[in-house]
Amino acid sequence: MAVDKRLERNARLMELLARTALADQKAFAELYRLSAPHLYAVALRILREAAAAEEVLQESFVNVWHHAGSYVAARSQPLTWLTSIVRNRCLDQLRRREVDTVTMDDEEDGVKVAAEGPTPLEMLLSGADARAVRSCVEALDAGPKQAIALAFYQGLSHSELAQHLKQPLGTVKSWVRRGLERLRACLDELGVSR
Amino acid sequence: MNLRAPGRADALAAEYVLGTLRGRARTGFERMARTDPVLAEAVRRWEERLLPLAQEMPPLAPPARVWQAIQKRTRGSARDAPVPRASMWASLRLWRGLALAGLAAAFVLAIALFTPAPERPEGTLVVVLATQDAKPALVASADRTGRILTVKALAPVELATDRALELWALPEGGNPRSLGLISASGVARVALAQSADEVLRNVPALAVSLEPRGGSPTGLPTGPVLFTGPVQRLY
Repeated sequence: MAVDKRLERNARLMELLARTALADQKAFAELYRLSAPHLYAVALRILREAAAAEEVLQESFVNVWHHAGSYVAARSQPLTWLTSIVRNRCLDQLRRREVDTVTMDDEEDGVKVAAEGPTPLEMLLSGADARAVRSCVEALDAGPKQAIALAFYQGLSHSELAQHLKQPLGTVKSWVRRGLERLRACLDELGVSR
Repeated sequence: MNLRAPGRADALAAEYVLGTLRGRARTGFERMARTDPVLAEAVRRWEERLLPLAQEMPPLAPPARVWQAIQKRTRGSARDAPVPRASMWASLRLWRGLALAGLAAAFVLAIALFTPAPERPEGTLVVVLATQDAKPALVASADRTGRILTVKALAPVELATDRALELWALPEGGNPRSLGLISASGVARVALAQSADEVLRNVPALAVSLEPRGGSPTGLPTGPVLFTGPVQRLY
């Protein structure tokens, strides 16, 4: 049932994107209504500041309005496409921040990981969506699993991961690399990604 | 960045999508993925693998002011009176389309090369402009020393009467430059200010956008990009 609902939502989002490409304001408004709460949650987790997340959301949707025509339905899911736009903008923002503040050594102020709500790990392991991806993440060893969850949901860099997990940088890097390799092998086996 | 090592491109694509590829490595990778169809495809596949995880998060309604600001910036059919935006040309999606178009172009070129050509192929520029899903739509060609770019529609493009197709050069690291309007069917001849060689120097690709009749009012593309294609130099 959940799967049906998801397929239905995907079909709806695809249609809305197609109509947005034809400058249909009403379709665009509905596209926003259906997808913005997901995307805002993604941005807020990574940026940890409401104002910055709002700005990314705004920029992303203005961008979607202009480029909905470049969405190719056959190549990716509509929500995946929208998520990639928002996440890439968030990561660009983080990059700019990193350039602004080069020192990350202060133990107290270095990394603030959002404390409220479910933890990244809980988020990975909950919900009915993306079952295959989740089962593959679940199968990872503890270290890689945690590193990947923190990097994905909170946009932590290698050095931030090292600091947060209190591990040497090299260890964290190899956790991420190994974790991704395993994840890929697992998903390939399940036939998830072509 | 050495991408030749086996698995290296895929590993970088994974860290790019995960977000751990940072700083100059990230911008460098992004730049390469724009022109490298293998990288672009690796990124797409990793997005399909990882981004569903984002949907696990509890949704959170953004404040109403966000939508109000978006509306202000897009209302009144923003596509008819848009702000110049060069950023779209940096969009990864566009370049992915371009990569696909590259495949289409290679295919058409292969045919062209094995067909006896009446012209001198060693002095010709050819651009196959294709849709995002790699269907060739237009073929543009010019003699490298000539000042005419011939654009042939492979099939008529459906076009409202108040719209026009505008052809753009996409210079490396610069804003798109208009080459002129083209017709939606048959053959258009676009006069160039200088020889094709000069005009298309440092131009890796051309694109066609949908514009108001008479062409873009801003000097930059304002409508959706319909076709893109890499410039092939047969010399």
